[in-house]
Amino acid sequence: MKLSFSTAAAIVILAFGALAPFIFGGQPYILYVLTLALCYTIPAIGVNILYGYTGLVSLGHMGFAGVGAYTTALLMKDVGLPFVPSLFGGMFAAGFLGFLVGIPCLRLRSHYFIIVTLAVGMILYTLFNNLDGLTGGAEGLPGIPRPGNIEIGSFVLDFRSLTGFYVLTFIIAALTFGLQYILVRSDFGRSLSSLRQDESLAAARGVNVFGHKLAAFVLSTAIAGVGGAMKVLFLRAAAPLSFDMHESINLMMMLILGGAGYLVGPVIGAITFIALPEFLRIAAEMRLIFFGFVLLILARFAPRGICGAAEAAYRKLTDKEANVVRYT
Amino acid sequence: MATAILEQFINGAMMGSIYVLMALGMVLIYGVMHVLNFAHGVLFMVGGYLTHLFFFSWTGSYPLAILCSMVALAAIGVVLERLVFRALRDNLRMQIVSSLGLILIIQNGVVQIWGPHALQMRPASVETLVKFGQLSFTLQHFVIMGVVAAAVVVLYLFLTHTRLGTAMRATSQAPEAAVVVGIDPNRVYTLTFMIACALAGLGGALLGPLFLIFPQMGDAPMLKALSAIVIGGMGSVPGAIVGGLGIGIVESLSTLVIPTDYRDTITFGVLILMLLIRPWGIFGVRVRGED
Repeated sequence: MKLSFSTAAAIVILAFGALAPFIFGGQPYILYVLTLALCYTIPAIGVNILYGYTGLVSLGHMGFAGVGAYTTALLMKDVGLPFVPSLFGGMFAAGFLGFLVGIPCLRLRSHYFIIVTLAVGMILYTLFNNLDGLTGGAEGLPGIPRPGNIEIGSFVLDFRSLTGFYVLTFIIAALTFGLQYILVRSDFGRSLSSLRQDESLAAARGVNVFGHKLAAFVLSTAIAGVGGAMKVLFLRAAAPLSFDMHESINLMMMLILGGAGYLVGPVIGAITFIALPEFLRIAAEMRLIFFGFVLLILARFAPRGICGAAEAAYRKLTDKEANVVRYT
Repeated sequence: MATAILEQFINGAMMGSIYVLMALGMVLIYGVMHVLNFAHGVLFMVGGYLTHLFFFSWTGSYPLAILCSMVALAAIGVVLERLVFRALRDNLRMQIVSSLGLILIIQNGVVQIWGPHALQMRPASVETLVKFGQLSFTLQHFVIMGVVAAAVVVLYLFLTHTRLGTAMRATSQAPEAAVVVGIDPNRVYTLTFMIACALAGLGGALLGPLFLIFPQMGDAPMLKALSAIVIGGMGSVPGAIVGGLGIGIVESLSTLVIPTDYRDTITFGVLILMLLIRPWGIFGVRVRGED
């Protein structure tokens, strides 16, 4: 039996992620960068569901990630809840806000929806920046606690250590990835794809356009909230600049770089965007200039990103017939 | 109170004029080509930097520096349209992606060339003060409003009284019909980008001396101009003017009532409300299936 490209890539990526602490155990720097990349992978998966499968562009997703992040941080720091309920709290807060924003705004199409997401992102950013009593304003929210230890027999997993936190982030990213995997293979996921390819046709075939878009939007904002929460738990501080417009743009960029509409697209994108330049030692500004050019070239010649190119190569390698609807 | 209102009104009209320049450029590009150019803000910023460059290292004259930077921006506009946007016609998602890529390239490129610190230039018009009773404004405030008013009039005359301007309007209204009567759409698209980029450059050149010239200086005007063209009606030139001035004045006056920190929250809140109630804007025409 031949493996499809998505499954093969997913297995390789998951195996690499699970083995990373053993491979790079002695190199904290690499593990640090990989953890940060995973923190971006989670919201990128959310954007993939929204953009890659449903075809909606959001330029304010890090705003929703910020809502999840601040909620989780406040629940852990001020309320003193343990990690798991706090994370769920952040997820629900971001998802609920997505629900509230989605109900009126998802009726808008094309440019208008993009502008609305941009505006929502900007509003959320001004709120993070100015609600000093709640979010700490521009100085941010320092001293966010890490989750407590887990003891299984004599084995202790300490989340304050880098390896422990990497494992935690990896588990959550893998769960999100699994959710995405189940989602896109379900009838619901196929309906989402049909919306991207031809909305009128999908509606004519009985797909509830608004309901599906809303569900995808809520799901994707909730996932973004989880990602934001993991990011501030990792950095141990929440700052408004982590959730501004440029971060939202970077998030979209990661996804397009990796390959929108591919299961592993967000993972590849986040690792390429965050980790690769770190290892190649490119200065921050040069990195963004470089990725800007990469983006222009991708938009023109390879709109399916790295995964699109990899899939073409894999197809040639395994000589499999092209039977998947191409991403447009 | 009356003086405070007058002061904020003049400040608002000045910022509003800058938003009008940006909004006009974005509305021309959107109206003619259906491209939403998010990179317009960084072009504005490049206008500021180039004016600084031309002023100090070449001409020494502020008006001449403005003209040079407008010409340079027009050239950049031609390059962008030919190399980036021409191939992506009718591909909404990839146009957005490309304009985001341009933001990254240009903004960080400027940081590489000029460094992250703000630059300052103070031509005579910024140093000269105009007094109204207790209030004093720099002459630059009135230069900005005057130049923008002149630019709007010139643009209007160009669009209504010249063959090229008519060709632009024709292409925006009915691209196929325009081709039938012998208009080359590619030339019109290039021209549109040229004019829009020159207007953005003019905006940066006018605002730069008054405040500082820094890599993020175009972000806020771009977002405000975006709000202006949505509120005024996507593709509507009068809408861009009313929307831009309106946002400038309202956000300035609002600082008398609510804290400055929440100014942007209000602006974007109004934008969202407008999109929900009347997505085709004040002056726009409703097109079924587009809103």
